[in-house]
Amino acid sequence: MKGWADFVSKLHAMKKQNWFRNSLPFWLILPTVTILLVVQVYPAFYTVWLSMQERGPEGWEFIGLKNFERLFNLGQFGESIGLTIVFLVGHILLTMVGGFFTAFLLNQKIHFSGFFITLLFIPWVLSQIIVGFMFRLLVAPDYGVFSGILINPSLFPPNGLSVLTAVPPRPWFSDFPFPPSAAMILLILASTWRALPFATLLILSAMQMIPAEVIESSRIDGANGWQIIRHITVPLVLPTLVVAIFNTILNGVNGVGLVLSLTDGGPGTATQIISYLLYSIGWSRIQFGRAAALALLVAVVNWILIMGTLGITKVEERDSQS
Amino acid sequence: MKRIFSSFWRNKSRWLIYSALILITILNLLPIALTVIVSFKSYEDVIRTPPVLFPCDTPTQSFDLSSCRWSLEGYERVLVPKPSSTSPLGFDLTGPMVTVYGGNTLLYATISSIIVVLLAATSGYAFSRYRFRGHKALLTAIIAITGVPLLTNLLALYQMGITMRTLGLPYDDRFFIIIVYIGFFLPLSVWIAKGFFDAIPRDLEDAALIDGCSPLEALFYIIIPLTRPAMIAIFMLTFVSVWNEFLAGYLLISKNSNKPLMFGFYDFLGQNLINLQGVAAVSLVIALPVIILFLFFRRSFFTAMVEGSVKG
Repeated sequence: MKGWADFVSKLHAMKKQNWFRNSLPFWLILPTVTILLVVQVYPAFYTVWLSMQERGPEGWEFIGLKNFERLFNLGQFGESIGLTIVFLVGHILLTMVGGFFTAFLLNQKIHFSGFFITLLFIPWVLSQIIVGFMFRLLVAPDYGVFSGILINPSLFPPNGLSVLTAVPPRPWFSDFPFPPSAAMILLILASTWRALPFATLLILSAMQMIPAEVIESSRIDGANGWQIIRHITVPLVLPTLVVAIFNTILNGVNGVGLVLSLTDGGPGTATQIISYLLYSIGWSRIQFGRAAALALLVAVVNWILIMGTLGITKVEERDSQS
Repeated sequence: MKRIFSSFWRNKSRWLIYSALILITILNLLPIALTVIVSFKSYEDVIRTPPVLFPCDTPTQSFDLSSCRWSLEGYERVLVPKPSSTSPLGFDLTGPMVTVYGGNTLLYATISSIIVVLLAATSGYAFSRYRFRGHKALLTAIIAITGVPLLTNLLALYQMGITMRTLGLPYDDRFFIIIVYIGFFLPLSVWIAKGFFDAIPRDLEDAALIDGCSPLEALFYIIIPLTRPAMIAIFMLTFVSVWNEFLAGYLLISKNSNKPLMFGFYDFLGQNLINLQGVAAVSLVIALPVIILFLFFRRSFFTAMVEGSVKG
């Protein structure tokens, strides 16, 4: 009790104003940190714990690393990683090339650029599951607007193509799912459609940072359009491009809603990318331990990407300061 | 090749750029436009094989504008209008989208966005104006959190909800999901707010502080009004993100009457796989509010996107 009395008298001894000022940042941050601890940090630790548990008859049982072992032995796990790689490579290539091209066009001195930007950005505010449905609508068996063209055997031999039910083509390299199935191509297109505005805006903002004098002087020195793009625009936009790629990967890896409403992982397992596998292990098969093991792996990959982004933006800041 | 490029630059052949942009824009809006068309078709025209783009053909002609069979069937299926004498329009909308899910989502999105703006402003201010022990570590931790997807946290949050319910703790779906949304969209907002506060010169508030204003008053009367665009951007970004969020609302809310709009959409999709005109209508009804918000506040969205991603 004596210690408490000491503490109270000490508190009184402190100048009230001063004490409040010194601890103000603490009080300002406290609510934010509390919520993040509950919603983000605690779940992370809980997931680590959960990944070593299994639901037994009497509650959770500790089973060590068996969940990981079973996950690696699951045939769908390897397949899903292959599918995720195919999905991400296609998604990123399309998004970056499309984003760079669109940003390049918008960066020319044109009229109505605000109008174009506004229209081009609408997909970005749509929900993933709605985007999934919109693309499903295009190729829905029999009724989709494009189904009439796609099921034409003379265009798509031998029997025409029904995107949502077509059997994936024979893989070229043992088990790696390449060339992708029609459903996977549709998934890549849908997710690119939604991600493109974001990539375009990032690249455009980087392009606008390039000083006009640099381009002007190189043009006076006799550089042609292609050389300017190749030697000035691309190198200067590159750091932003990398940030955009990481962001695209993060959103791409974690988008379940799109797969859910577009293909539901099918036909068969042809579009079962890693996030969808996590969802289906967790909530369709109710194997929380194994899902937690998978979640942990996904989180580690995400975390590496975030740290990479941070590293690159730091490098960028240092460059601009020197 | 060289000549094409140089003429492209020197003669400033704008038409090429314009036509490319117009083509991209049309391609970009195509999925939305086709959804709009389907949403106004009747069931008979939706299930025709081979599919037709416009429901405007007659037995003799393939396209005749005067005989188009546009229909509001899809929208009626979603909104379920019932005649009513009290409502000014003459009918009430009684579909669950309007009466249950829409209200829930509006509630969740509004409350969590307001709280996110408040917390992002206060903690962004602390991070921007004070140097305290653990300043840098905490900032890095917050950005590291930004990247961890909701998906991986859902298992734990789901168990948390179950535990609270079985232990009989005071638990409410709505309260829980709002906290989850705040926790999920707050980290990025803190970074955006800090970035904007850093750009405001300290001289302004120093003058106010010398005049006897407290730091909190300086934040609310000087800094926040000066960074109003950023605050609006954070609000809009959070609002749209919560509005569009599906998985957490679907899995974490136990009572059907508390579920959000996106669950309503998913449920409707499952029940109406054959009534494509209805699903098309519901997706447009759900998307329209955020599209309108975006059109009005597009500048805010752009600043928030660029700020948030280059930093994190």
